[in-house]
Amino acid sequence: MYYQRTQNFSSRRQQNWSRNQNTVAFVSAIKLGPVTHTVLVALMITVLGLIYLTQATRATSYDYETQKIDSQIAELNTQKSDLQIENARLTALQAVKNSSVASTMVAPTSTNYVAQ
Amino acid sequence: MNLELQKGSRSKILAAIVFGTMAIFVVRLFYLQILQHDYYVGLAKETQVKRLTIPSKRGLIYALDGQTPVPLVMNQEVYTVFADPLIVVEDDKIINTIKRIAGGNARDNLQALLDKKDSRYQILATRVTRLQADKIKAEDLSGIGFQEISERVYPEGSLAAQTLGFVNFEGIASYGIESKLDKRLTGTDGLLQSVTDVSDVPLTIGNDNINRPPVNGENIVLSIDRNIQSHVEQALADGLKRTGATRGSAIMVDPQSGKILAMANLPTYNPAKFNEVKDAAAFNNGVVSAPYEPGSDVKTLTMATGIDKGVVTADATYNNTDYIQIDDRTITNATLGQTGIITFQHALNWSLNTGFVTVAERLGDGKSITRGARDIMYDYFYNKFHLGQLTGVEVSGETTGTVISPATEEGNAVRYSNMAFGQGLDVTMVQVAAAFSSITNGGKYYKPTVLAGVVDKDGAYIANKTSTSSVAISKSAADQVREMTHVARNTFFSSVDKPGYYIGGKTGTSQVIKDGNYSTDETIGTYLGYGGTENVSKYVIMVQVSGDHKTLQGARDALPIFTDISNWMLEYIKLQPKG
Repeated sequence: MYYQRTQNFSSRRQQNWSRNQNTVAFVSAIKLGPVTHTVLVALMITVLGLIYLTQATRATSYDYETQKIDSQIAELNTQKSDLQIENARLTALQAVKNSSVASTMVAPTSTNYVAQ
Repeated sequence: MNLELQKGSRSKILAAIVFGTMAIFVVRLFYLQILQHDYYVGLAKETQVKRLTIPSKRGLIYALDGQTPVPLVMNQEVYTVFADPLIVVEDDKIINTIKRIAGGNARDNLQALLDKKDSRYQILATRVTRLQADKIKAEDLSGIGFQEISERVYPEGSLAAQTLGFVNFEGIASYGIESKLDKRLTGTDGLLQSVTDVSDVPLTIGNDNINRPPVNGENIVLSIDRNIQSHVEQALADGLKRTGATRGSAIMVDPQSGKILAMANLPTYNPAKFNEVKDAAAFNNGVVSAPYEPGSDVKTLTMATGIDKGVVTADATYNNTDYIQIDDRTITNATLGQTGIITFQHALNWSLNTGFVTVAERLGDGKSITRGARDIMYDYFYNKFHLGQLTGVEVSGETTGTVISPATEEGNAVRYSNMAFGQGLDVTMVQVAAAFSSITNGGKYYKPTVLAGVVDKDGAYIANKTSTSSVAISKSAADQVREMTHVARNTFFSSVDKPGYYIGGKTGTSQVIKDGNYSTDETIGTYLGYGGTENVSKYVIMVQVSGDHKTLQGARDALPIFTDISNWMLEYIKLQPKG
């Protein structure tokens, strides 16, 4: 049984030795060519772009939600305003005087005063 | 292996072409993106960034119902329905739909409007409500559009019309509060600047977004009480019908604060239909804008001046001969026969001109209306009672009137003898009512106001602070004149008032100047009075009736209107009678 070395180590001490310097350098056996590098960079850019687009789309979707809610608020405010006008018309003096309730009212026969 | 390109090889030429092309792109991109950067960013913003104005809402106007604000003027969104005749294809369906839903707001000649193919914009209906507009939209008619506008609506109809004024179709405030307080009622429009999508939905992307919300106009609360205003208008209308007068005005003031509780003018109009008014005089608020010679009402002020200066009292006497000579003029009484030594109370009861000319004389040397006497009268009338000048009441169209100064040639003794009984000066009703209020409240002059407070954005009513007063006359003098007017009223009209209350007043019948001379066939009837308890006056009411070629009198024509309002008012404020 024997062990085969899968990595090569070369000592640099022989070349430029000095104190506290690594004397062993790691060199990968897998070599990536220029095409691979280009593809990897393109992939990274694509992933980053997708992340950006996802976030931007999400933010824009909130805009539509906001717009929808704003429209609802405006619609409800308009309805509230219409109801306030209708309420004011129904409680106007002339409307009250002409109401069926008013027509059945009678003048008080006497008045009691609490204080002057 | 040698990979170098051969000199002049095709590959080298291709490389040169590629590099050359790239160089052109780089130069062009440099020009577009660097040198022309600002220009193209501007172009992009023009299409991507939208600036939307968010309209502010005009402030509402409220009256009071007791202490609760009730709306008199509100805003409503209405729609103008228009057609593009070039696009319209279903004429019959459009005409039927518009007539069925818009009703009276639809134009009469719809087919003729739709036939105008040379036009791209024809109005088919105006002032269509939101509900009606929604129903028309649901019909999905091609070539039909809607334009939203905001208009003022008046739930109480014509109530206090001249006090309110109106906003015309161009959005310009006219007359009344609308005009006078236009700046407070008008808000500030908001601004929304944002990148939008094709549907104009604002997006948060971009660095130049602005979202400035609109600031709505102030909601103003008037001191006008709608119940009092309504009754005053009704009493005035009844009075005009009874007397045959064609014009009438009335004002009610709270003498303890200067707040105007009612201000009415007839003929009146409905502000919602201001465009249908035939005579623009109906827009004027005569109470503040129509100066006139007030006549005998002013005798109360002359008497107050004399008492305050200590030259007369109610029980002091003078010799009444029914006429009095001032320089080259002879002044006579309207009522003759009360001759002899009489009191000034008696002179007030019978409204004798000679009595008040005598007061003016006693302000001087006792025999003539000297410059000193005229200076005193002017000081009281102009500086203390604020006649002949703007009161500052918050409705448009107020006029000053005229009180001639003794420093001028016209301010002579004859002029001031006339002023002592209410002629020779022009004043407005609001001036007289405010001056008389100072007699009924112990001598304090309050600037008349029609404002009570505001309603904030949360709907809460915030009342104004009570305004400060100035001293017009002493309390003692004021109380004496108040008592004198109480006696004067009760001398002839004691039975008309509700028993147990303290009511006083003074009649006035004014001559009208036409073409520089006093008219012989036209007089103005007025009544100026107050009501309350012996200790406190609760209201001051002034009524005026007039008409072309009509001789109207204070006692006969204006006083019953005062009495009607006064008796109703005593019930309305639930004032306990004495005894």
